[in-house]
Amino acid sequence: MGNVGHGGKEIVERVLPKDAAIKKVNELKAAKAKTVDVRLQIATEIIDLAYGFFTPLEGFMTKADVEGVCNNMTLGDGKTIWSIPIVFDMSDDELQKSGIKQKDEILITYTGNPLAIMEVSEIFTFDKKEIAMKVYGTTEEKHPGVKRTYNYKDKFLGGKITLLNPPKINEPYTPFWLTPLQMRAKFQEKGWQRIVNHQTRNVPHTGHEWLCKGAWLQAYGELTIEKPLVGVLVNAIIGEKRVGDYIDESIILTHDKLRTAGYFGEHNHMTSCMLWDMRYAGPREAIFHACLRTNLGCTHHMFGRDHAGVGTYYGAYDAHHLLESVKGKINITPTYSMNWLYCPHCGEITNEGICDHKKEWQKFSGTVVRSIIIDGVKPPRLIYRPEVFDVIMETAEKYGFGSAFVTEDYLKRRTPVFTIQPLG
Amino acid sequence: MAEVFPINIWINEERLEKLHKAGLDSLTQEMLAGLKVLRVPTNEKQRDEILKIYPMAKYDSATTKTIELLPKAVKDQIFDMAVQKKTVDMMDDFIKSVKK
Repeated sequence: MGNVGHGGKEIVERVLPKDAAIKKVNELKAAKAKTVDVRLQIATEIIDLAYGFFTPLEGFMTKADVEGVCNNMTLGDGKTIWSIPIVFDMSDDELQKSGIKQKDEILITYTGNPLAIMEVSEIFTFDKKEIAMKVYGTTEEKHPGVKRTYNYKDKFLGGKITLLNPPKINEPYTPFWLTPLQMRAKFQEKGWQRIVNHQTRNVPHTGHEWLCKGAWLQAYGELTIEKPLVGVLVNAIIGEKRVGDYIDESIILTHDKLRTAGYFGEHNHMTSCMLWDMRYAGPREAIFHACLRTNLGCTHHMFGRDHAGVGTYYGAYDAHHLLESVKGKINITPTYSMNWLYCPHCGEITNEGICDHKKEWQKFSGTVVRSIIIDGVKPPRLIYRPEVFDVIMETAEKYGFGSAFVTEDYLKRRTPVFTIQPLG
Repeated sequence: MAEVFPINIWINEERLEKLHKAGLDSLTQEMLAGLKVLRVPTNEKQRDEILKIYPMAKYDSATTKTIELLPKAVKDQIFDMAVQKKTVDMMDDFIKSVKK
């Protein structure tokens, strides 16, 4: 397996070694380079860009890229599929105060510590309503992705970035944070020829577990079975949370528990995380996930009903249709899945494409599952694995201030996923 | 018949024992792979009052038609009151008690 990522481009880490980074910061300070302290979203995306999660992007998008994304779902080259704008916004006021101009090399800090340098190749404006309509298919502000777009300031800075100061990933995420190159090395070590990605924002009930098992079987296909050649990569999206979401710690530790408790094994399952604020762009977010996971080295990707959707903005299979429309232009195979459910007649978890006891089906309603978790009443092992349910309860106490779901209190007091420490 | 908007209270063995003693165990239903639930009914007025007192709660009009996301402590109190009064028709009393 080479290290070729999305768009056929080699994964390159844009990260300066520590000594070179210290020297660079000193040079920039001596030259009185302009400095800007960024918010969490921008810091997160700088880290993603630097480690190649967003390959072939090497920095924040230029106007041509954003136009391409909006109009053709490609980058500015008109060929490489890309579905979500990756932009760095600043207000006129901030630009004026900082004095940042086109062609400047600027120092970016986060929480006051050096994070990256950016070669500002372009400063531009873009109609935010147009982004909303073309990316999210709506201009309604109640759509969380649209709201985020409208909250962008009025100017965008495009240009390459280089990381100066790698993030310190905090517990309990440390063992689950792997860069695309590290992830690929891990797959090679395990001898996996095919890796099927599971995108998640949930703690896994048995419906999720079987979604993964079904996709593993789909991906295995014609491969020989003497040694394990296929693995499931659970790649949890860790980012901005909304009240009522599952807490990140529960998501990641419960998925890992499925492996350590033996429902999967070291030979076919791995849990990881990546940093990204979900846009809930439905079909377009599905395309984005496909590109991201190509960069991680995955060969297959699970897509269920209403992938990455919100409310009633997208049809159940819109993401599948959009993925089919770019077949041959992305280098990952979608594995589509129908709903997994409990059938009391079969006495097992089954799939709506398999079982015909339609009138007896007991579906995993998200609302019902949440209600069970809130009550803390251990469900039958056919619904929640007891080890998994125990981890939900433990993480609620240890990390969630008593709740497995995000509360205002959690948002204020949670340990950040990463910190940027002083350089040197 | 007036519409009913239940609150789902999930039942483990300990709770089932208490319901049995209160003569309410026959009111439980099996929902997911045998997991039992006690459905405490509210009428429209009671539902709206509950949603006002506990703004984090939601009425799931789309799928389950139940009041959801009530904090555990609140559901525990509702369960305890149902057991104490030996009836699930006690939401007026519950609302009065929390308003005090």
